[in-house]
Amino acid sequence: MEADVLIVGAGPAGISAALTAEKFGAKVILIDESFSPGGQLRQQTQYFSNLPTGYAPDIGLKVIETLIKHLYASSVQVYTNHTMIGAYKNGMIGVTDGNKTFPILARANILAPGAQEEAKIFPGWTLPGVMTAGAAQILINRESVLPGKRAVMIGTNNFAFTVAKQLHDCGVTIEAFIEEKSQITCSDGILRDELKHVPVWTESTVQIAQGTGQVERVSVHTPEGRKEIDVDLICISNGFTPILEPFVIMDCELTYKKHLGGWVPLYNEKLQTTNPSCFIAGNAAGITDLGPILLTGEIAAISALEEIGILNSEEAEIERRKRWLELEKLENTAVCQARKNLIASSRSRQSPLTKSK
Amino acid sequence: MVMNKMTKVFDCIIIGSGVVGSSIAYHLSERKKYEILLIDKSYPLSGTSGSTQAWVWVHSKTPNWYGELSMYSAELYAYLEKKIGDFEYKRTGGIAPFYNEGDRDKALKLAEEQGKVGIKIDVLTRDEVLEKEPAVSPKIAGATFSKWDGNLNPFRLVELYIRAAKKNGVQCSFYNRVTSIKKVRGIFHVETEQGVFQGNNVILAGGPWSKELGKMLGVYIPVRQVRGQILITEPLKPFLKYTIGGVRQTDNGEVLIGYSKEEVGYDRRTTLDVMQQTARMAIDLVPALAKANIVRAFSGIRVIPEDGLPIFGEIPGIKGAYIAVMHSGITLSAIVGTLMTELLIDGETSLDISRYSLKRFSNLPNRKI
Amino acid sequence: MEKSTIVCRCEEINIEEIELAIKNGARTFDDIKRLTRCGMGPCQAKICMNPVREIIATYTNTPLEDIPPPRLRMPAIPVRLGALANGVEDFKESSIASVFGESVEDGDEQNDESV
Ligand SMILES: Cc1cc2nc3c(=O)[nH]c(=O)nc-3n(C[C@H](O)[C@H](O)[C@H](O)COP(=O)(O)OP(=O)(O)OC[C@H]3O[C@@H](n4cnc5c(N)ncnc54)[C@H](O)[C@@H]3O)c2cc1C
Ligand SMILES: Cc1cc2nc3c(=O)[nH]c(=O)nc-3n(C[C@H](O)[C@H](O)[C@H](O)COP(=O)(O)OP(=O)(O)OC[C@H]3O[C@@H](n4cnc5c(N)ncnc54)[C@H](O)[C@@H]3O)c2cc1C
Repeated sequence: MEADVLIVGAGPAGISAALTAEKFGAKVILIDESFSPGGQLRQQTQYFSNLPTGYAPDIGLKVIETLIKHLYASSVQVYTNHTMIGAYKNGMIGVTDGNKTFPILARANILAPGAQEEAKIFPGWTLPGVMTAGAAQILINRESVLPGKRAVMIGTNNFAFTVAKQLHDCGVTIEAFIEEKSQITCSDGILRDELKHVPVWTESTVQIAQGTGQVERVSVHTPEGRKEIDVDLICISNGFTPILEPFVIMDCELTYKKHLGGWVPLYNEKLQTTNPSCFIAGNAAGITDLGPILLTGEIAAISALEEIGILNSEEAEIERRKRWLELEKLENTAVCQARKNLIASSRSRQSPLTKSK
Repeated sequence: MVMNKMTKVFDCIIIGSGVVGSSIAYHLSERKKYEILLIDKSYPLSGTSGSTQAWVWVHSKTPNWYGELSMYSAELYAYLEKKIGDFEYKRTGGIAPFYNEGDRDKALKLAEEQGKVGIKIDVLTRDEVLEKEPAVSPKIAGATFSKWDGNLNPFRLVELYIRAAKKNGVQCSFYNRVTSIKKVRGIFHVETEQGVFQGNNVILAGGPWSKELGKMLGVYIPVRQVRGQILITEPLKPFLKYTIGGVRQTDNGEVLIGYSKEEVGYDRRTTLDVMQQTARMAIDLVPALAKANIVRAFSGIRVIPEDGLPIFGEIPGIKGAYIAVMHSGITLSAIVGTLMTELLIDGETSLDISRYSLKRFSNLPNRKI
Repeated sequence: MEKSTIVCRCEEINIEEIELAIKNGARTFDDIKRLTRCGMGPCQAKICMNPVREIIATYTNTPLEDIPPPRLRMPAIPVRLGALANGVEDFKESSIASVFGESVEDGDEQNDESV
């Protein structure tokens, strides 16, 4: 298989990259390990208004449905059930469909594998009924399965509130939020308001989750003393961390940025990693909001096409600048700052970025 | 922390805490005569000893005196386990298959040669192999077999060597790179990131970094770095009884697969090219493995002396400086630790080790250091 | 936290075992892995990577960012050996050696020398 650009991961970032590259005339292959494109947007029922020009505000599920429709109407070759598992000696990406494993020859690669949720360790966290907030979200929104009836949510970030609200709407009683810090971290006033009936225990930690064969009870250490409640679901929302395997496999250097989720691949303002043939987009780059995620896909595509000569530098620079400006308007300030720091430090370490053949 | 590092003179400083260095440290410490310091630039097992198949392989090691050395090591492991604890040594017996009937004569010749030193080898027919190990492919033509071969858990072995050595008073300095070695008035000054240590004797056990350590003493160590890549399956029900050339099953049930060789310097990446070739080799040998999931690949850097045979003993021309570097360190650590201890403390060895001296390379054309 | 709390669920390794490895000088995830098998199971450290790094950071009083992630390796997800073997056009050169082949090869050369 051969293409100008190979894109790994068909979440919003990867699809956006694929459509952009195709629009500028590139032959594109897009692969995803899942049975369908869409990534983690497939289970998001919340409303997104903070989107780039050209996107109509809508709930996550609908935004991705529209993107997928465009994708299948385009010339992009989409391969679902195809996973990038490794790389060959000559730098080609190796893919498996479960029956065979083969190289895909592309002149540039865009890696958009997304992020994964952080675990949280406490006595009893391995009991059935303890799960990440994302897992609970997939169960209710994609599988139509209720993960429990009475729940606590560990963490108070935006995602914790998003999922708590969705669980609440499905009839799950949220008994409490448990937060180690002294304050709620969710920045979304509307969401907080909608869940103001749920007690938030700050400066609190889970002491133990107990039950026979399944969570039945949780004990929490709070400033007012130990609290114990009966629950059959404990959700953990401890943040996201970029999926690193594809980058390490492609020899991209990593760096540590707490605000971008910990270890992230090093990249510059072209969204080029330290492997000049590999570009990065979406959650994997530590970008968390949907609007900016879509834009990073576009920027990565433009830069990849510049790298292989389909776009010239001036064209590419103009297109990129436009999108960076828009991105800065849309992006969460903390993430934006962390990303700027990352780019600043990677620029100074930029010598490995030599032009490829 | 190591005390009095500036003034104290150790009897022996060992550089490198892989299976070879830690075995020497343990065996020396058992005599309770020496004050010993064991240094490693990172943590034990970060080198080749942590990325190995870990067969204790005897029967096809040639010439036969090298096979004999390997056999003695296998013999020692059984006793060693009683002294330092369980490192999962199993003398499973080893099967080295061949695919062409034409190889049978060579196999018989191997059996004859090894038989002279007491390594009994059976040359098996296909049916005999399949009876022993039904999972092996009927595509093979036959195999050589010996009861001497086996395998062990290298993580446990090195950990237990070090634990026992520490108990016997060995001092360890890990995450401390040796940067140079000087000999001043008969005493070695070993410079490290954490200061200078002094020793009456110094032993280089740097595995793939042996060349660099040799340079510090002005000695050329004729070794090559050869990468090997290994695949690991998820834990499977025990179904392989023997150690088979290329494949073995651990106590946990994982199967370790691989026997690749590439000269790429110190590059520990894995590549799909070799992983796929390895997968094919495995299925040709044990067809049932096709259904097993591979959870990981890893690679290690073998260090192979230019003639393939171990190098250990005193370094010619530098009294008190020793080296131990070899291809099959897992197989040989027990015997090498034992012989090096005899050499240092008793001044003579129970086996003639002159064949293994670095001296044998001295008539090589002059090498740039 | 209770020392018996599991950190690596694949291999059932608890906090106490990890702290013991650190006490014995381990400083990185990979050091701990080789001593305890933590992170060697089916998920290949995808879940316990950061919890273990946090334990190292706390125990050794080191900033979290100075503790590198474990070495990530292929395959990115588990893959059937059959699927791995399948679909390769024949490689021009193979790096796979054979134990039997080697003994014979070396043997022939060496025997000439040693007689
Ligand atoms: C469980 C979960 C729930 C989330 N819920 C929300 C939410 O409610 N609200 C919100 O704002 N954000 C949420 N997020 C964040 C969300 O991921 C982003 O908003 C957005 O989906 C990220 O887009 P992306 O394209 O970068 O990655 P993703 O959407 O994660 O897409 C990455 C794609 O790459 C594929 N992939 C990964 N590795 C490989 C490989 N080796 N080979 C082939 N394909 C591969 C995956 O199958 C996936 O389809 C959630 C994240 C997760 C993990
Ligand atoms: C894929 C593969 C499969 C193998 N299979 C087998 C097998 O089945 N059976 C068998 O017997 N052998 C096998 N081997 C070989 C065996 O693993 C090695 O021979 C053995 O591990 C070497 O041990 P070592 O102690 O010499 O080297 P290492 O384990 O590499 O130890 C050397 C140590 O020296 C330290 N060091 C280096 N330089 C410095 C310095 N300047 N300062 C301080 N410390 C330093 C390093 O940090 C390292 O810890 C295999 C090897 C590979 C790669």
